Amino acid sequence: MNRPAAPADAPVLTAERLGVRFGRHIALRDVSLSIPRGRIVSIIGPSGCGKTTLLRCFSRMNELVSGARTSGTVHFAGMDLYGPDIDPVEVRRRIGMVFQKTTPFPKSVFDNIAFGPRASGFAGDLQGLVEEALTDAGLWSEVADDLDTPALELSAGQKQRLCIARTLALKPDVLLLDEPTSALDPEATARIESIIRALSPRYTIVIATYNRWQAARLSDMTAFLDRGELLEYGLTETLFTNPREARTESYLTGRTQ
Amino acid sequence: MTRPPSRRDPVGTACRVAAIALLVVFLVFTAYLGYTASQVVNIDFLREASSGVAVSAGIGPALAGTIWLLLLTAVLALPIGIGTAIYLEEYAPRTRVTAVIESVAANLAGIPSVIYGIVGLALFVRALGMGPSILAGGCTLAVLALPVVIVSSRTAIRGVPEGLRLAAYGLGATRWQVVRNQILPAAGPGILAGCCAAFTRTAGAAAPLLVLGTATFMSFAPQTPAHPLTSLPTQIFAWATRSQEEFAALAAGAALLLLLLLLAMNLVGALVVRRLNGASR
Repeated sequence: MNRPAAPADAPVLTAERLGVRFGRHIALRDVSLSIPRGRIVSIIGPSGCGKTTLLRCFSRMNELVSGARTSGTVHFAGMDLYGPDIDPVEVRRRIGMVFQKTTPFPKSVFDNIAFGPRASGFAGDLQGLVEEALTDAGLWSEVADDLDTPALELSAGQKQRLCIARTLALKPDVLLLDEPTSALDPEATARIESIIRALSPRYTIVIATYNRWQAARLSDMTAFLDRGELLEYGLTETLFTNPREARTESYLTGRTQ
Repeated sequence: MTRPPSRRDPVGTACRVAAIALLVVFLVFTAYLGYTASQVVNIDFLREASSGVAVSAGIGPALAGTIWLLLLTAVLALPIGIGTAIYLEEYAPRTRVTAVIESVAANLAGIPSVIYGIVGLALFVRALGMGPSILAGGCTLAVLALPVVIVSSRTAIRGVPEGLRLAAYGLGATRWQVVRNQILPAAGPGILAGCCAAFTRTAGAAAPLLVLGTATFMSFAPQTPAHPLTSLPTQIFAWATRSQEEFAALAAGAALLLLLLLLAMNLVGALVVRRLNGASR
C-alpha cells in the first residue's frame, strides 16, 4: 500500500452504510460519514451508542470478536478496507488504535514502543524511531534516562502517553483514540489533550469520547451517535451551538429524553 | 491482609487445626517411609538392578525407566497439549466441532488412569506393534497427561488480559506474533504449573503401566525406548505385593525415591514459575 498524496480536507476515511452486529445485537446501523484528512473528529453519544464499535470498524478490530458481522463499506485512501484482498494486519499498521483500557505490555518502555515496528519487520533506526514516538507523545523527557524501566511502573497518565507513543511508532495515517482520558485526572487529561492538539494536523485523529466538553475543546468535527445510528455530523461549533436534531440538543444540554 | 485467627473465630481455628493435621500426617507418613527404607537404601540401591534376593536388589533400571517415561511424556504431551490449547483459545472458530473437542478434553481429564492403560495396550502395544516397551509406556502416559496439559494451558491462556491481545492486534501484530510475544509469556507460568501437575500425575501412575505389561525383574538399565517397560511405581507395586518383609523395605525405599523425584520436579517448576512471574513485572 502506497501512501497517497491528497490535499488537506479530502476525506481519508469514508464509511458508507456501515452496520455492525454482534450475534443478534445490532451495534451500528447504516452509518455514513467521511473523516477529513488532518483533522480531529470526535464521536460522542451516550454509553452503548456504538462509539467504540464505529472506531473499531476503521481498524478492522471488530472481527476479532466472535459473532461480529460488518456490512457496508469503509474506504481508506481509495480502497475498500473490507475488500477481499485486504489484509487486516496491514490495515491496523496504517490506522493505529489506542484502546480505552490502558494496557502497556509487561515489558520495558523501549520494548513497548518497538513492538509495532518489530512486528511489521522494521529494519531502520529503531532507537531513533522510539525516541521520536516518545517525543511526539510528550513522554520522552520523563523516560529518556532509562528506557529499560518496566512500563507497568509508570503512572496512569504516563501509561496512556506510552500507549499513544506505541501507536505513533507505527507511523500510521490515522490515529483512533477510544476514550483516551476516561481513567485520568484533570491534569493528566489536559496533558493528553494538548498532545492530541499537537499531533494534528500531521495525523488524522478520530476520538471516541463520553465527554462532550472534550469533544468541544478538541475537535474540528463532531459526530453524534445514538443507539447505533448517526444522528448528526458536522463542524463541532455548529453541532454544539445549533444542533439540527432535538435528541442531539437534549444530549448536549444534559436533559433527559 | 493476613492475621492470626482470633479465639472468637471458630472457622479460622478449625482451618488451622486441619492444616496442622495435614502437616503431621505428611511428616509421619514420610518418617515411616524413611525409617522402613533406611534398612535397605544406600548408594548401591540406586545403582543395582532388581533381584529376587532382597539384599542385593536395587532400583537402577526402574529409576532409569521412569526418567525415560518422563522424557517421552514431555516430548509428546507438551507440544501437542499446549498446541491444542493455543489452537482452541486463539485460532479455532467457535463451532460445534471445537465445542466437542473442548468437552472431550475436559472430560478425559477425569477418566481413571487404568482405562488409559487398556487403550494403550490395544493401541500402542498391539495395534502399533510397540510391545510392552518404554515407548508404549511413554505414549500411554503422554495420552494420560494430555487432557491435564490442555485444560490447564487453556485456563492459563484465558487468564491473559483481553487488553493485551487487543493492544497487540491494534499495533498490527499477526496472530502468531500476538501468541508468541504476548499470550505465551503472560500465560507461561500458568501453563508450566499445569504441566507440573500433569507430570506428577503421570510419573506416579502404576495402573496403566501394569496393564501394558511391565518387567519387574530387570538386570540392566534401559538404554533406549525400545527396551522392556519398567518404572518406579510398577517396581514399588511388585515389591509391595511380596510377602517377605525385606521387600516391604525395598518398596518403601523406592517410594521415598519417587516422592523425592516428584518433589524435586515440582520445586524446579515452582522456581521457574516464580522466575517467569518476576520477569514479566
